[in-house]
Amino acid sequence: MSEIALRAPRLPGLGPVLASQLRYQLTLLARNPRVIAAGLVLPGALLALERGNARHITMAQAAPRIAGLVALSAIAIAFFTHANGLVVAREAGVLRRWHVSPLPAWAYFAGRIMATMLVTAAAGLILVMVAMAMTGVHLTAHAVVGLLVVDMLGALALAAVGTAITAIITSAQSAQPVLMLVYIPLIVLSGAFGAVSSLPHWVHTAMTYLPVQPVIDAGSRALQSSGAIMTVHDLAVLVGWLAGGLLLSFWFFPWDPHRPAHAKPTEARTTDRSA
Amino acid sequence: MNAIIVKDLVKRYGGFTAVQDVSFEVASGQVTALLGPNGAGKTTTIEILEGFLAPTAGTVQVLGANPRAGGRAWRARIGLVLQTTSLDAQLTAAEALMMFGALYPKPRRVAEVLDLIDLASDARTRIGALSGGQRRRVDLGLAIIGRPEMLFLDEPTTGLDPEARRRLWSVIENLTAAGTTVLLTTHYLDEAQYLASRVIVLADGRVVADATPDELRAMGGVPVIRFRLPAGTPALPPALTQHVGGNVLTMPSANVTADLATLVGWARKNYVDLTGLEVGPPSLEDAYLALTREGELSHV
Repeated sequence: MSEIALRAPRLPGLGPVLASQLRYQLTLLARNPRVIAAGLVLPGALLALERGNARHITMAQAAPRIAGLVALSAIAIAFFTHANGLVVAREAGVLRRWHVSPLPAWAYFAGRIMATMLVTAAAGLILVMVAMAMTGVHLTAHAVVGLLVVDMLGALALAAVGTAITAIITSAQSAQPVLMLVYIPLIVLSGAFGAVSSLPHWVHTAMTYLPVQPVIDAGSRALQSSGAIMTVHDLAVLVGWLAGGLLLSFWFFPWDPHRPAHAKPTEARTTDRSA
Repeated sequence: MNAIIVKDLVKRYGGFTAVQDVSFEVASGQVTALLGPNGAGKTTTIEILEGFLAPTAGTVQVLGANPRAGGRAWRARIGLVLQTTSLDAQLTAAEALMMFGALYPKPRRVAEVLDLIDLASDARTRIGALSGGQRRRVDLGLAIIGRPEMLFLDEPTTGLDPEARRRLWSVIENLTAAGTTVLLTTHYLDEAQYLASRVIVLADGRVVADATPDELRAMGGVPVIRFRLPAGTPALPPALTQHVGGNVLTMPSANVTADLATLVGWARKNYVDLTGLEVGPPSLEDAYLALTREGELSHV
């Protein structure tokens, strides 16, 4: 037995370590004003605008709008806030500190993504309650739970994509523009604010393969309790983005701050190390 | 037993050699300062020891393991203060310490660490609202919460005011008294003099000196005569005038007796009080500058 093994004290179990990391990330998210602003206030305000139409709205009309705004909240929290936070933490050296701590790399991401899913679901639940109050539509518990399950699965896929995309963002300053370049077209063209009928057919088709429209479609079906919530296609798209995002992150995620290309070689960094 | 063993370490980035054939060992419980000008290779060396970088050639062992292959158990035995503060600003100091403490087998109590880093009164203040010196102390707190056997301090007091530096020194002294091995990089030579029992000087990627601070001072050349000239002092003899800068005579002397005789003769003649006259080995700074200059010149 090696000397290290002989001297190694008993480390905390992975369960308590993961629970601690989940708590840490939930605390960070709860204190992040972007979560409140983009994940709750903006979609909540858009829902409030529906109030004027409440007398004329049917469930078939309300469901895609509510699901769209819940998806807007999900992409704001699970993609935009998550990815932006990762870049800021990486560039500030926070991730570097975690990487050299006894926390396994997977536990950092698991804690962070689980916290993102929980906060996304909480925001989704609040939005549904706001929607019920504003539009007067009646939703069953079954419908709400179905929507939240879809919301969390969408958050998982979006967080995986957000994690992967941080590899190409080289500074905290460039994070917001790059992420918005992805986020805004995706949310608008996917129909979160209502279907865009004037788009070319190929754009409609492309949107069905990106991770937002399946969340809106499945969420809408869940609210209307109309048979199976998710089609095989929607589920496959979300699982595909989840798997692809995690795989890319595994190979390319940088733990260390990026250095400008003209930086002195002594300040260059490598990012690979055992987890 | 050695906590650190570095043998024939080389690190290259393309055609640039940042570290060239560096070898040294650090005994357990020792405080060692790694000194050198910017670009000397000290950060590269310490980052290889921390496991962030892979060496191009040579071998490195920290606490008996290759840092690149060190798993959770190894990482639980080391503590780091990185060159720049790296903290989540939304948390309080107490929260950050509690969350990090949960990763270690026998963490210090949060209250104990807050006392050690003198932040008990600001425990519930969010890190983003703390001063730079206080954040640096939180950094140190996170590094020591797991009772590390080996502590890497990369320029831990850069940017701190003198009082904050002294407080941090006191914390480091307490840790070393308890047997923690410390490898410190710093640009402050008084810090190295105060904390370290051994100094390794790097220049141009190579070790140019490896000695105790006193031995290093002795390497700096001949003794030095220092005297702060009182206001209105008459002109010094020509042999001494050339060593005056900013009203201070700082004169390297190969023949202290003869040079002192000249100075004392001048003082008696002009009724100058020599209170404050010092004769001694060169300061650590003199020695350091001499060594690093030699190191750079020898590789031109």
